[in-house]
Amino acid sequence: MIKILAACGAGVNSSHQIKDSIETEMTNRGYSVQADAVVVKDITEEMMSKYDIFTPISIPDLGFTIPIPVVEAGPILYRIPVMAIPVFDALEKTIKDNNLK
Amino acid sequence: MTDTHSGKVSTLFLLDSIFLSEQTTKEAVFKDVAEQLVQKGLVKENFLDNLIKREESFPTGMDLSVVNEFLPNIGIPHTEGEFVNTRCVIPVKLMTPVTFNNMINPSATLEVSFLFMILNNDPGAQTNILSDIMGFISTVNPEELNNFFNYTDTEKIYQFLQENF
Repeated sequence: MIKILAACGAGVNSSHQIKDSIETEMTNRGYSVQADAVVVKDITEEMMSKYDIFTPISIPDLGFTIPIPVVEAGPILYRIPVMAIPVFDALEKTIKDNNLK
Repeated sequence: MTDTHSGKVSTLFLLDSIFLSEQTTKEAVFKDVAEQLVQKGLVKENFLDNLIKREESFPTGMDLSVVNEFLPNIGIPHTEGEFVNTRCVIPVKLMTPVTFNNMINPSATLEVSFLFMILNNDPGAQTNILSDIMGFISTVNPEELNNFFNYTDTEKIYQFLQENF
């Protein structure tokens, strides 16, 4: 199971949309993924160490070096393929490059 | 989602909570709208402070030129569920475009002409409000959508949303 951490400022809208979209699309592409949606300010190094990929809207300043691969997922929010597909492709490349399962 | 043809009415929009704002900064727009939302009991007293703080750290301007080059940009300001009392969308027509920072590229600015202010005290709900807003933007005919963004009559705004959202 590949664990993905989605995050946004309030944790009530954007990150949930990113989580749902990633789970749906990556499952369709044949990957076993689980995404969680959190508020950026709640992220700690310890929390992040439990995930394989971080998918914020844009890279936030967390006060520590992000120890896992990052894929900026903001374009998914547009809900149009021309914006979302490059994000999903980047996610798939990250999964393959890091041999995540 | 609304489907007036089948008799359903969206509960996401409230006819008496659609605003036109003459303010020229996002802070002033937020203050203007938030004071009315507090009076209506839709948000808590500390909503405004948290909305402004959140917008500074995590901006919500969205560049719609990537959807259609003729569409004006929108903002989707929102804050944590603990500061609101309901789950709905507050449409705000900005009579003068207001500068927001871009949600996806926060260091960039853009001029925004319409807000869909999201109030959501139930983030676990099955339907995602932001997703529904973007679905509305990406599926309604761009010419009709452009006309909608120029409406200055709150009843017309409400009606269009009921028919198309």
